Amino acid sequence: MSRITIAIPSKGRLKEQTEDWLASIGHSVRQIGGERGYTAEIDGIDAEVRLLSASEIAQGLIDGSLHLGVTGEDLLHDQAPDGPSDFEVLKRLGFGGADVVVAVPQAWFDVDTMADLEAAGAAFRKAHHRRLRVATKYLRITRRYFAQKSVGEYRLVESAGATEAAPATGTADVIVDITTTGATLRANGLKVLDDGVILKSEASLTRSVRAPWSEAAEAIAASLLRQPRAGTKRPI
Amino acid sequence: MKPDALVAVARAVFEAAGGTPIDPDYVLPADIPLELSGEAVRARLCLFTDHRGAEMVMRPDLTLPVAQREAARREAGEGGARTYTYAARAFRQPVAPDDQLEFTQVGLERFGYEAGPDADAELFALVHRAVEACGVQPSGVIMGDLAVFPAFIDALGLPAVTADLLKRAFRQEGGVRAVLDAAARPLEPDVASVLDAADPAGALSALLAARGIPLAGGRSLAEIVEGLAARQAAIEAGGLTSGAREILQALREVDCPLAEAAASLSALAGAHGLDGAGAAIDALGARAQAVLARVPAAGLTARFRTGFGRRFTYYDGFVFEVLAPGLAETQPVAAGGRYDGLLSGLSGRRASATGVGGVVRPDRMVRVRKGVS
Repeated sequence: MSRITIAIPSKGRLKEQTEDWLASIGHSVRQIGGERGYTAEIDGIDAEVRLLSASEIAQGLIDGSLHLGVTGEDLLHDQAPDGPSDFEVLKRLGFGGADVVVAVPQAWFDVDTMADLEAAGAAFRKAHHRRLRVATKYLRITRRYFAQKSVGEYRLVESAGATEAAPATGTADVIVDITTTGATLRANGLKVLDDGVILKSEASLTRSVRAPWSEAAEAIAASLLRQPRAGTKRPI
Repeated sequence: MKPDALVAVARAVFEAAGGTPIDPDYVLPADIPLELSGEAVRARLCLFTDHRGAEMVMRPDLTLPVAQREAARREAGEGGARTYTYAARAFRQPVAPDDQLEFTQVGLERFGYEAGPDADAELFALVHRAVEACGVQPSGVIMGDLAVFPAFIDALGLPAVTADLLKRAFRQEGGVRAVLDAAARPLEPDVASVLDAADPAGALSALLAARGIPLAGGRSLAEIVEGLAARQAAIEAGGLTSGAREILQALREVDCPLAEAAASLSALAGAHGLDGAGAAIDALGARAQAVLARVPAAGLTARFRTGFGRRFTYYDGFVFEVLAPGLAETQPVAAGGRYDGLLSGLSGRRASATGVGGVVRPDRMVRVRKGVS
């Protein structure tokens, strides 16, 4: 049986916070090949450790090429073809928090809820012979949530970045995007619908349901949940 | 028998009924199904991006590209009634593990003929004959009529805003329930006062300026005012009466033998004193009689359900599916119905004609025959 594969974020705040969390439970991370390396060792854990982008980690957990990983729940939910049954969140880590929300122009005084958005979408289609545009990088999450809310009168526009600017530039009318404080949305003249919070996302330690799990692998997953590691000095 | 042999048998049945064989475009702009049916269908579509970056789709059925050609023909000023037949490949993302991504549909589409019970029944009888010719004895037939729910809504005499909402909600999974449960929420006083202004769009513009809110997105001031007026109307109309709720609840649950459908709906309308739905119920009754006269065998198994076919996005009247032994209800061997609004929708209202059509699925019938033998 080969070793299990664990992935942690390769850059930014998410990387730092993941390393801090691992250190806090007694498993310090040492990157191999310095800051530019893409593998690492985790103290006290016999595993192949890869540094990947958060999106690659979500994909690897879903397709089973990774056993364990730390990534954002927003990415897991959006990349899972069958939804939440495609992965198992073991532990929410308390950082990397953000909401995936439905936001519309503040000028739309007539639209406060998803039901209002449905009505506005129907009227729009009648007047323009096309559907309202919803810009997002979260295609699956958006489709599922709009279906759940019985909103059918819209079209998705895939957005690679700066989604919040789409209504102002005219490439879309509505957005589904991630937000922490809502300041960026407000600055762009947008408001979150009353029932527009789709997902409250955090960085989380997640287990693949498709990867092959051995007893040794299960033991490693368990050791990351049992904290802190025996013999770890507690901060005073 | 191999699939190809069944394709030939079914095709012969449709071609004997007259019509022009057609093999329309395999690849369509993704806008066609997505604008017509919405994002709910995206998960089933085989999409790709062409060299210019435009989103394209492999035809998900034959009705769309055939109707698109017919719409273009009529937009160019040609008229008359037309029948097209086909035996052609279509492409859909499988939902069940034993479904194929690429499969053959054998069927026929009729445009510009007089719509009515006989035209519907004749189409159904032809499709049913094609199934039987392939050596499959149907185990069931499910029929719906997408005009019945809207007719009851109209008969209830609800405010236009509520009626429109319910008609749209009927076509969405869980939609009617959501409408019944939701309560209209009041507008902010400042915002509501916009509606009382002599120039509401101007008043809205002034309110936006005062609050420093930019006008973003593709909706105009007039459209926002219209939305405010609709919401105000919904608030003033209040919720649905308990009587209306009861009717809609009972209507959604109608699931009975086809022969009894009109009587069941009449009894429901009568019990609540609704006269306005009579024409739609009569049309349903006449169609049921015409169907049972042409296909007596269907009388044993055919059922009517109010909600059936509401997710068949471009159908707007008669809808049916034919089921076969050993296959799930989600895997009918034949399906079809009426889509009188399709050409109008595809052409941006520049062309219009009645439409009715149906297909059989030889790949599924092969499985039925294997299971039976």
